[in-house]
Amino acid sequence: MSDLSKDEMVGELSRLFAEEVEAAIRYLHLSHAVRGIDHLVVGPVLKNGYEKTIEHAEVIARKIRALGAVPKLEVNLSLEPASVNAKEALEMALTFEEAALEAYQDALRRVGAEVPLEEFIRSQIVVESEHVAELKQLLVE
Amino acid sequence: MEVCRLTVDTWKEFDQNIISHSAAHHLMAVDDLVSRLGYARVSDVARQLGITRGSVSISLRPLKKAGLVEQDENRHLRLSEHGQVLVAAIKTKRHLMQRLLAQVLGVDPQQAEIDACKLEHLVSNETARQLLSFLRFLDSKEGRGREFVEAWRGGTEQGELKTGSAPTAREAESLGENAGGTGAQGSTV
Repeated sequence: MSDLSKDEMVGELSRLFAEEVEAAIRYLHLSHAVRGIDHLVVGPVLKNGYEKTIEHAEVIARKIRALGAVPKLEVNLSLEPASVNAKEALEMALTFEEAALEAYQDALRRVGAEVPLEEFIRSQIVVESEHVAELKQLLVE
Repeated sequence: MEVCRLTVDTWKEFDQNIISHSAAHHLMAVDDLVSRLGYARVSDVARQLGITRGSVSISLRPLKKAGLVEQDENRHLRLSEHGQVLVAAIKTKRHLMQRLLAQVLGVDPQQAEIDACKLEHLVSNETARQLLSFLRFLDSKEGRGREFVEAWRGGTEQGELKTGSAPTAREAESLGENAGGTGAQGSTV
């Protein structure tokens, strides 16, 4: 038995969908906000981050569709046309990746006995934790 | 030419203002959550503002850097002393603007709240102090304030001045004025 109604599950997934889409947009913007040699250094990392997060958003959207709903998306972004250096870009990415990880951890606490959703969220926690660890490593080295 | 220079400087100041509309809402959300729940987490702020955690985390970065928001080892947020002072001033400005617009100018209360919300973080302390002084004048028992507004409204039916609650000593203090206030006539601060 699930602790969550279908609407609640869609709500949980929609929140995660928004986190991922927003993170993807931020990665995309950051990848073009880093210039010069810094772009050569962290450009591929940011591009990879964009591809991964958009992929995650796709998976979540498919899960929402499988529940018979349409993804709800509310993003409120205004990204400044200011250039950033490699370190700033990675710190920024770490900030929103950590936020996404916490969002999955929070969602896990709420999904109760909904096994497929719980499994999916657990797998995402593993993936997001890896992203966070990679970014932390890049910021140390 | 002088006016033009002033406009450019104001625009630059506006652009560099760390307390953007969004920042003001983040600060006030932290303040509200801490006073209601005793704690504020990024997720609580995100839910309260109806935005993602990622957005909240990114928006909090400059506020933490500026020493307005602090986060403890449990990742609970709180306002620093400086942050609290700033939030108190923003709240006061919102209240004063709301009063001016709704109770004095007769703007629809809902619209007054929306407009006050847009202005609260942009109004300087100096302007807010003068506004406080003006509202005190309108609240004065001598009736001259009431007469002033009624004359302005031209004695129309909607011309009654609803004075509402007078500015408190706390509001005066948050704008850097002595708690004692300046009296009903509201001399300049």
